[in-house]
Amino acid sequence: MSAFAEFDRERQEIDNLIGLGYTIAGIYEDLDGARVTFIRSEPAGGPVELLLLTADARKHVTTLLVGRTRQTAAEIHR
Amino acid sequence: MADLSIDFAGIKSPNPFWLASAPPTNTGYQVQRAFEAGWGGAVWKTLGEPVINTSARFAAVHFGGQRVAGFNNIELITDRPLEVNLKEIYETKRRFPHHTIIASLMVEPKREKWHEIVKRVEAIGVDGLELNFGCPHGMAERGMGAASGQQPDLVQAQTAWVKEVATTPVIVKLTPNITDITVVARHAVKGGADAISLINTINSLAGVDIHSWNTIPNVGGQGAHGGYCGPAVKPIALSMVAECARDREVGVPISGIGGISTWQDVVEFMLMGSTGIQVCTAVMHHGFRIVEEMIDGLNHYLDEKGLASVTELIGKSVPKYSNWGDLDLNYQVVARINEENCINCNKCHIACEDASHQCIDMLTNAEGKAILQVREEDCVGCNLCSIVCPADRAIDMIALDNGAAPMSWNQRSRIISGVNGAYSEAEAG
Ligand SMILES: Cc1cc2nc3c(=O)[nH]c(=O)nc-3n(C[C@H](O)[C@H](O)[C@H](O)COP(=O)(O)O)c2cc1C
Ligand code: SF4
Ligand code: SF4
Repeated sequence: MSAFAEFDRERQEIDNLIGLGYTIAGIYEDLDGARVTFIRSEPAGGPVELLLLTADARKHVTTLLVGRTRQTAAEIHR
Repeated sequence: MADLSIDFAGIKSPNPFWLASAPPTNTGYQVQRAFEAGWGGAVWKTLGEPVINTSARFAAVHFGGQRVAGFNNIELITDRPLEVNLKEIYETKRRFPHHTIIASLMVEPKREKWHEIVKRVEAIGVDGLELNFGCPHGMAERGMGAASGQQPDLVQAQTAWVKEVATTPVIVKLTPNITDITVVARHAVKGGADAISLINTINSLAGVDIHSWNTIPNVGGQGAHGGYCGPAVKPIALSMVAECARDREVGVPISGIGGISTWQDVVEFMLMGSTGIQVCTAVMHHGFRIVEEMIDGLNHYLDEKGLASVTELIGKSVPKYSNWGDLDLNYQVVARINEENCINCNKCHIACEDASHQCIDMLTNAEGKAILQVREEDCVGCNLCSIVCPADRAIDMIALDNGAAPMSWNQRSRIISGVNGAYSEAEAG
């Protein structure tokens, strides 16, 4: 199976949850992959856990986090 | 023509090209011929306690049709009396007052021994001293050379003893046979070193004769570990120079040594933080005259780059040498095969199938011709196919804009631990 297709499936799962208003609440990495926990406050939901197996999906999830941190920092400075 | 002269820790030299302490700097005859050929300086073959050398003592590693890809030796320091060497250094300096002569020294780790030899060589007018804490064989068994160089405290103490009496700049020559070169470099600086030079030779065994079962080289059927140098060691030397150059606690000029044989090598060492360079194996292989090509090449290069002085190169690439943890994980390159240059040897396909990510497809184009194509979405940009490809410009590595903002491993780790911290607090609260 194409490595890109595996990544793409995981990315879509992440993006779906984010699209539904979930935020990343925790990431635990072990030999199996990255277990990412998502929670939602409005309407209350979660925690939902995704097990990410591909390296690119792990990069994707932290890229979202880095983006969020940057955005928060920019808002504080405004 | 650009100005090639350098000021190395206060030592003036007409150009950055110095001969390393080794067989080519064994006598006044040789060093004078080298200066006539164009070398700007010479580090005299190491002076010290009288020694006796073995026969044989050199071996080379020829690789893939290239002779002397690596060079190995079990030679010790000079086996000529100190008095004779001093007379010849004096003569050579008198005839070539503007060229650089450095005395390389190695004695037992005893304060009075260092004081005595420093006073004697400085009295005949050398431009500087180089302390040899690098020789990995023979002398090391007697507590000198690398045996000292592998003990940071001993390097510091001996450097300090030399500095107590030295009136010329002191360069400490480091051994690569350690885990972290910066630890010893820092101790040399703490001891008062004005500069460092690196690398000396790397522990090695050049080979075993599969017919006689003797080591190469062998001395009457017995062998011992020797020191490795020549083109094969250049990447190791360059990284060690880079590690020292970016270390704030080191902070002294560096003389880069190890596998330098072309002007391009010189440029690389200088960009990576060397103020000057030293050469041994390339001269043993090709003779003194290789310096002509090096000077010519460097001059053209500097003119082409619009640089007025060779010193403008020093350290320019050091800021580009960082830690893996600070590299951008989102930076992406992919391989692209240019059909018009590809000779269809299939080497890239095999390399990617067997050793990378199985993303070079064998297809047939509209004219029925077999072609290779990279599935770019699966390509991890490892470079392997372009490394093994024998045809010029048949594979380009292309940088893609994937829209993701830069993110390093360190940044990622910090953010993940922050998120996990917040989550545990939320869970607890
Ligand atoms: C045969 C031989 C003898 C050497 N003798 C000395 C020496 O007496 N003192 C010293 O500091 N380094 C000595 N070296 C090491 C060189 O100065 C240099 O550090 C090393 O060879 C790496 O440079 P290269 O790759 O240009 O040869 C010797 C090297 C060779 C090959
Ligand atoms: S760069 Fe690596 S992964 Fe990409 S095609 Fe070449 S060998 Fe395969
Ligand atoms: S290795 Fe280079 S020349 Fe050979 S098939 Fe691949 S792209 Fe073509």
